[in-house]
Amino acid sequence: MQAPVLHKIHHQHFWLSAERAVFWQEQQTLILSDLHLGKSGHFRKAGIPVPQQVMKENMQRLLNLIQYFKPNKIIAVGDLFHSAENLELELFKKWRYDFEHIDFFLVKGNHDILKRKWYEEAEINLIDDRLIIDLFSFTHDQCDASEDLYSFCGHLHPGIVINGIGKQSLRFPCFYFTPTYCILPAFGKFTGLANIRHSKEDSVYAVVDKALIPIKG
Amino acid sequence: MHDSPGYKVIMQWLAGKGYKPFTFQTETWQCILNGKSGLVNAPTGTGKTFSVFLAGLIQFINSHPAAFQKKEKNGLQILWITPLRALAKDIGRAMEEVIDELEMKWKVGIRNGDTTISDRQKQKRQMPEILIITPESLQLLLAQKNYPSFFKDLKLLVADEWHELVGSKRGVQVELAVSRIIGTRNSNADVKANALCIWGISATIGNLDQAKEVLLAPLSIHEEKTVIVKAKLEKKIEIESILPDEIEKYPWAGHLGIKLAEKVLPIINASKTTIIFINTRGMSEMWYQKLLTIAPELAGAIALHHGSIEMELRTWVEDALHAGKLKVVVSTASLDLGVDFRPVETVVQVGSPKGVARFLQRAGRSGHSPDAISKIYFLPTHSLELIEAAALKNAVAENTIESRDPLFLCYDVLIQYMCTLAISDGFVPDEIFKEVKKTFCFSELTKDEWQEMLFFITLGGTALQQYNEYKKVEVEDGVYKIKSRRIAMRHRMHIGTIVSDPMLKVKFITGGYIGVIEEGFISRLEPGDAFTLAGKQLELVMIKDMTVIVRKSNVKRSIVPSWLGGRLPLSQSLGKKLRETLNEAGEQILEGIVSPNIELQVLQPLLDLQHTLSHIPASNELLIEQIETKDGFHLFVYPYEGRLVHEALAALLAFRISKITPITFSIAMNDYGFELLSDQPIPVDDSNVYEIFSSEHLVEDIQRSINATEMAKRRFRDIAVIGGLIFQGFPGEHKKARHLQSSAGLLFNVFSEYEPNNVLIRQSFQEVFTQQMEEQRLREMLNRIQHSKIVLTYPKRLTPFCFPIKVDSMRENLTSEKLEDRVRRMQQQLEKL
Repeated sequence: MQAPVLHKIHHQHFWLSAERAVFWQEQQTLILSDLHLGKSGHFRKAGIPVPQQVMKENMQRLLNLIQYFKPNKIIAVGDLFHSAENLELELFKKWRYDFEHIDFFLVKGNHDILKRKWYEEAEINLIDDRLIIDLFSFTHDQCDASEDLYSFCGHLHPGIVINGIGKQSLRFPCFYFTPTYCILPAFGKFTGLANIRHSKEDSVYAVVDKALIPIKG
Repeated sequence: MHDSPGYKVIMQWLAGKGYKPFTFQTETWQCILNGKSGLVNAPTGTGKTFSVFLAGLIQFINSHPAAFQKKEKNGLQILWITPLRALAKDIGRAMEEVIDELEMKWKVGIRNGDTTISDRQKQKRQMPEILIITPESLQLLLAQKNYPSFFKDLKLLVADEWHELVGSKRGVQVELAVSRIIGTRNSNADVKANALCIWGISATIGNLDQAKEVLLAPLSIHEEKTVIVKAKLEKKIEIESILPDEIEKYPWAGHLGIKLAEKVLPIINASKTTIIFINTRGMSEMWYQKLLTIAPELAGAIALHHGSIEMELRTWVEDALHAGKLKVVVSTASLDLGVDFRPVETVVQVGSPKGVARFLQRAGRSGHSPDAISKIYFLPTHSLELIEAAALKNAVAENTIESRDPLFLCYDVLIQYMCTLAISDGFVPDEIFKEVKKTFCFSELTKDEWQEMLFFITLGGTALQQYNEYKKVEVEDGVYKIKSRRIAMRHRMHIGTIVSDPMLKVKFITGGYIGVIEEGFISRLEPGDAFTLAGKQLELVMIKDMTVIVRKSNVKRSIVPSWLGGRLPLSQSLGKKLRETLNEAGEQILEGIVSPNIELQVLQPLLDLQHTLSHIPASNELLIEQIETKDGFHLFVYPYEGRLVHEALAALLAFRISKITPITFSIAMNDYGFELLSDQPIPVDDSNVYEIFSSEHLVEDIQRSINATEMAKRRFRDIAVIGGLIFQGFPGEHKKARHLQSSAGLLFNVFSEYEPNNVLIRQSFQEVFTQQMEEQRLREMLNRIQHSKIVLTYPKRLTPFCFPIKVDSMRENLTSEKLEDRVRRMQQQLEKL
């Protein structure tokens, strides 16, 4: 894994990982979005044989991040899960119990439709609207709602198109920082991309394989 | 046969109508009465239906000479497979007419996507004697409980327009269905005793023998025992090019065609009814508008016909064509097939027909009386296409016709078929494997691959998995079944999905359905934007629930959608003829031998310029032009092998050149050649050019070039839909379905990363090699190039040959208006030099 890239907001240190997550140093918090856990299981249950390894690999990457940053808090800004309950989520629960010492916050996303009881059992603090810590707000899809706070959100699955010479173009997931909010890349690998259009005052980091590449506005 | 009661009844009936059977018809009857299977080779409109159908009647009358008019509920006698829904109705009507006039009690049933549920139920209770069916609906028939009983009385199975099916996945569906029907009969000793005859009806293609073999393979009978009956009815064809008044020295596609619309008017006026064939739906919309603008008097007598137009409207157009009510119809390939429209006297082909067979088929749409000459006009969309017109004339004169190559090992269709059988009565793998192996498509299927597919549909993968809730096909006492009603329903809905960009319905805000449009097009528009569909100017109001809501628009300029279909590549035969015709052109320039082809004569100025700047390749030469412009360094190559082969060859070349020196390219191509563009000089010269075009390590090199993956990804789209990976949702399940949506591209990425050996991923790559790149064709071409002379030129500016490729490559990023301005400027600049 490439060493994390530092991005400062309000004098706070945010370390961006090419594994599609952000570590907030002052708060010892790992921030991520759109894991869509259980998506492969949901498809498989409906007779669509999506490889199960995609779920296992997502969990493995999460594990690696925890071992690397040793956070005491995790904030998922929505779509931690994909749909209704299935057996793959048991895998998550098991994993969760191995890391009981970490506080887990989930800002509810449109895909998080499990029963409240389930979140309680999995020791996840469910937040309906937004979570505010210090000068920062964490929401699923309402980046503009918090006037004075800097927002972290997800939902979009941002992607950036990089045009090469001679009409070649490639598309990558990305971290998208504007002066007032940040849209995180989808952590889950079984997710699509929506193209963003960025301007000069924005910072964009493309996730290219195992590395982050800053993109000029 | 001549003494048989059935023959007498039929001959009497024919005589009563003043008809006499053609030799090929009586020949076919005789074969069928002898219990033979085979193929009838006859063009449309020559009584091919009767050649097979009447044999079925003769057979029945012979078995029941006294009671043939009384006997009803005889069970299914004739199964008639047709590729087009629209054909079913006309064929059914013709058959019913005969049955009525013979005062028989037979029923004719039609089974396709339009058949109502009550009709289906009726058919289930009592099969009609004749069932006309599409390949998809035939699969659905196999998804019904107790389906083997449908086929126990079957005497005759017919695949109509087999040439249209043989090279397609729908053809594979037919192969599998035939293998199953024979299988159900073999497992019942009483039924087995009754001979089943299988017949294909096909227009002329290059590989008739193989087409027959593909259809009859499941019968496992010796080839000598099957027959091909040829109709030997030669139709005279006259081809005339519509020549522009002035030859543009820098031609570009799509531009000239519409300018020549004025020249089509006298042709329309001179004949009773004219069909104008246009290659793309987008262009057909433009032509329709243009003709109405320049000849307003055509209003009411002109119609538009293409695949995105509402079915009802299309049917109306077809009926009006029959009735001779229309003066002109602008159409795409949607009118290629089907019964004859007798009033049609003239056909105009706009742009390259891409193949000789297609051109002949279209020409055959005109001039129906036995001695009439089919007249077809060729209208070029850019001046270089005139060479193609000359090549077509040569090809027709020499009777060169393309083959339709059958497909091999379509795992997606097989997976779909296995699930289909699992819905009805379930299947026993060993039994079905034996049957499947007998088909042409799966004759090379290995036991391991079969096992892999069984795992795929039962376990959702290969190895044992943890936390696995995969559910589709379940195994019960060795029988493979789908037990979930929901999964069964979803599967039925997916059989026969026509694979394309997701299509959205277009409706007026006040109600009223107009047609369908590709999602990719409409997503680029904003509310308020105007576009054209079915000849109407429409304004986008909003998109809601897979429906595009529009209102009428009075805007002058609207965007004409471009559809993905219709991008057929140039055929190999036509490509060869094209190279030969260029040879002729070269002789005209070099040696002053004036070609007898008027097209080449008028092209003289363009050919002169090409010759001055660069070279006109002889048929044993390959021309490569290297040009430097402000855009960068261009390498143009002209193999004339069609855009798909060019795409592959361009990728291959780009890869091989990048091995010499680190370099990136962009690639553009059309049917004549391709372009590599780079920001640095391209190191190709006399010393390495043959090496770069070598056929050694072909497959390895292509696999390493990035494009193979990109191309496989595009292929995967269809495969994923057919193989049941893409869920499109169905009415009433809208909300639930949302969590099951995923794009083919995403699935492709996930599979290639985590299960790269998956059968469907393998198939995507295989299809890229065999169908898209046409590996065989690519290899043959490279070998040809090795034995030919490669001519490298270094023109100082763009040449007439490279110009259309250059323009095509700009097209993608520009709107049509901007493009037009830009091209015009380029033309002016170049001509001034």
